Amino acid sequence: MADTTQKAPLDIKVPKKNRIRRFSVGDGILLLIMSLLSLSVILPFYNAVLVSLVPQAVYVRSPLLLWPKEVLWDNYRFIFDFRLIWHGIGNSIFITLVGTFYSMLLTVLCAYALTKNIPGRRAIRFLIVFTMYFSGGIIPYFLIINGIGLTNSLWSMILPTGINVFYMLIVSNFFTGIPPSLEESAKIDGAGDFTILIRIILPLSLPILATFALYYAVDKWNEWWHGLLFIRKVEKQPLQLILRQIIQDAQFLSQQLLPGQEKPDVYGDSIKMAAVVVTMFPIMMLYPFLQRYFLSGLTLGAVKE
Amino acid sequence: MATNRSLSRPLGKTNLKKEIWRNRYFYLMLLLPMAFFIIFKYLPLYGLQLAFKEYMLNKGITGSPWIGFDHFKRMTVEPEFFVAFKNTIIISLYRIIFGFPVPIILALMINEVYFNRFRRFTQTILTFPHFLSWVIVSGLVLNMFGDSGVIKKVIALISPEMATNWNMLYSKSSFRSFLILTDIWKEAGWGTIIYLAAIAGIDPSYYEAATVDGCNRLQQIWHITIPGIMGIIVIQLLLRVGWVMEAGFDQIFNLYTPPVYPVADILDTYVYRITFGRGVSMDMGFPTAVGLFKNVINFVLIMTANSIARRAGHDGII
Repeated sequence: MADTTQKAPLDIKVPKKNRIRRFSVGDGILLLIMSLLSLSVILPFYNAVLVSLVPQAVYVRSPLLLWPKEVLWDNYRFIFDFRLIWHGIGNSIFITLVGTFYSMLLTVLCAYALTKNIPGRRAIRFLIVFTMYFSGGIIPYFLIINGIGLTNSLWSMILPTGINVFYMLIVSNFFTGIPPSLEESAKIDGAGDFTILIRIILPLSLPILATFALYYAVDKWNEWWHGLLFIRKVEKQPLQLILRQIIQDAQFLSQQLLPGQEKPDVYGDSIKMAAVVVTMFPIMMLYPFLQRYFLSGLTLGAVKE
Repeated sequence: MATNRSLSRPLGKTNLKKEIWRNRYFYLMLLLPMAFFIIFKYLPLYGLQLAFKEYMLNKGITGSPWIGFDHFKRMTVEPEFFVAFKNTIIISLYRIIFGFPVPIILALMINEVYFNRFRRFTQTILTFPHFLSWVIVSGLVLNMFGDSGVIKKVIALISPEMATNWNMLYSKSSFRSFLILTDIWKEAGWGTIIYLAAIAGIDPSYYEAATVDGCNRLQQIWHITIPGIMGIIVIQLLLRVGWVMEAGFDQIFNLYTPPVYPVADILDTYVYRITFGRGVSMDMGFPTAVGLFKNVINFVLIMTANSIARRAGHDGII
């Protein structure tokens, strides 16, 4: 197991079997099919951007819109004039930054301690893994977190989502694969356990730590469920939840307008799509640059315990 | 791991104390994580007793009076519960039947793409939707499939009659298909990664030998690639079946509307609706019982799936 964990495959490379083979008709058909499939994934995104750039009236009337005749930024202007969007963006950034740090801290500490053969290790491990398979369900969860007093606090979206057990076990597996001789020689030099973790283990694990920090960050940015349960004040809601209300509740936007603010066609798809584009913008921008980290998670997970 | 275990000889009391003291910093490291698990994972388990209690706000979880199995008896006569239970199973099975094979087929196709760059490109594109929340994806697909959406407009070009009857989001006959389809759109690309990794692990000399023997590429896929990843496919299927009680709360909750409740309401959405949907209800006991019912079935199924997988020689499912 150690040999697979050490070289975590960050690039998924398909073996180069006979490269010299000629481009056949079959290859052509496959290329066509794959192009169509890729197009079917891209299309909804293209459509969303397109709809967000045209006035609602034009969108509804046109039989099939493929290219905007004129680009209008009114929908975005409206979205960004809408004060709750800024609350949402601020809350989501806070949750993402603080939450990712908190989750990584807990994950690394837990993962490293679990690699050590300390008394009670098996019991502790069992207690942790058990939570993957059995939970109290939503109602007790709600009552407990409510009882702690996290209602209407941004911490209700951070603290309860600390460790993803699956991520933690993969990190722990990776730590197991680091040769113990490195730790031993540091120990001879008088390094303590925390020093070894910080100075030896973490620098050797940067790619895998980056991968899971990214996953945590995406999870936190996408967080809406805890917000739905615990946040009643709209000013404290994450961006995803604000977006959800814009999409689902036709009354929401008009109720939240400031007195005197111009009322646009708030029932329209154009405004909704502008909000969708704004919400997914960070992930869309990061994805092309960090794709090898985005794509490596499950293959790390395939590493056997 | 085997070597570790052989090292942990039975410890005497003083030895154990010494051993714990020697490892004190590791226990210190576990302090925060264990606090997290106790507060957010185990305290809710303590709250499960509400399934057998009549919840009273002023008495809390501990103080509320016991009422035995009344909530469970109520389940047997609650028609909405039965519908939700049935839908959970049906929707999950649909996902397995129609959704499970898709990433396998996709992975086989991606693996055969002639140009390396294009292969990477398609894989990157197909995987992207996985990283968006169902809130965002619901916005995208409700717009596509909605009343002024692209799909209706394309249909109108072909047959105006069909377009006037277009009603996919609110029709009981098509909503489940809509769920399966959008789920495949979002997750199939991500699902290919594990199969592609498995394909990458197949010894290339098999393919060389097959080429020498005059196997064409379809034969190679059939006789080498598919058998090569069969182990992973079986394990994945087993796990998928084990998780059958998880029918996709995030997706359904963000896509469904009252007209399709009869075909789309699953246990998770049902519990949410009866507790928080009509203003916060005070009846916490019954939904806790429904949640417990679901989680016990879930637990038994997953454990069964895991133990079968382990017996088949795959110790990898943590």
